[in-house]
Amino acid sequence: MLRVPLNQMLAIIIVSLAVGLFTNILRSDRIPILAQDLTQAENIDEVSGEPVAVTLAQAKSLFDNGVVFVDARDDEYFADGHIQNAWNSGFFMELMFKLDSLQSRDDGVVLYCSDDDCGSSEELANDLYNEGFTKLFVFEGGWLEWNESGYPVE
Amino acid sequence: MKNDLKNMLVLICRIFLGFLFIYASLEKILQPEEFAKQVGYYKALPFGLENLLAIVLPWTELIVGICLLAGLFVDGAALLSIIMMLVFILAISQAMLRGIDITCGCFKVSADSEKLGLHTIIRDIIFLIMSFVVLNRQERKFEYLPKYN
Repeated sequence: MLRVPLNQMLAIIIVSLAVGLFTNILRSDRIPILAQDLTQAENIDEVSGEPVAVTLAQAKSLFDNGVVFVDARDDEYFADGHIQNAWNSGFFMELMFKLDSLQSRDDGVVLYCSDDDCGSSEELANDLYNEGFTKLFVFEGGWLEWNESGYPVE
Repeated sequence: MKNDLKNMLVLICRIFLGFLFIYASLEKILQPEEFAKQVGYYKALPFGLENLLAIVLPWTELIVGICLLAGLFVDGAALLSIIMMLVFILAISQAMLRGIDITCGCFKVSADSEKLGLHTIIRDIIFLIMSFVVLNRQERKFEYLPKYN
């Protein structure tokens, strides 16, 4: 018969809750208790700094301006279909090398994955931001919204 | 003799899991913002709760690790270890099933950490079994709190 030591378990949880919340108040790199969503881009021409979210219409205008699109999904999904001219994210170092050989780190890059319920585009955007890229757009509607709207795919 | 072997196995599992949890907690405690983002990528929690989890979970891991190593509240620590492994396995499975291509955030929170995959699930199942071994032990060796005799 397995033991069910609920009181001991509760004690550990309460202590970690207390220590976690308390140290979070004290430390300089504290984070808010609840996470915020990505900021929505107001003017896509003036983006500089942390990654921002863009709508379908904004993504389309970036697409029309020839901004690089990077597909953050798995290879197999990419092979099944992707936004026209989008790159497969592949290995992170390789992606950075490709971007660097084409443009500066202050030029725009659009990241997308399947829909607004996948985290890989946001992860890729944050990783690129940590490497010094400053104009990162996360198209949260992703492949699903783009494909449904009938915009160019391949 | 057979009991000695069993006790030895329990002790090995306890020490291994103890170090494992402490190791897993350190980078998360040092970089809460990165870890919170990492939890967010799983898209498994509502209302931005990933931050609260990122504030608390690393400390739970650290305390569970210390308890297992030091022989304090071993029952509670082992049960929490089981629950954490079940939650991790669920979180990884749902992300993989939905085709979310992200890094694990299991031990490292930086960009070069390992990708989610079947191996991360299998690894967690092994840790889950080890936690069961500890919780289901017959004899209490090297345990100091609470006192049972």
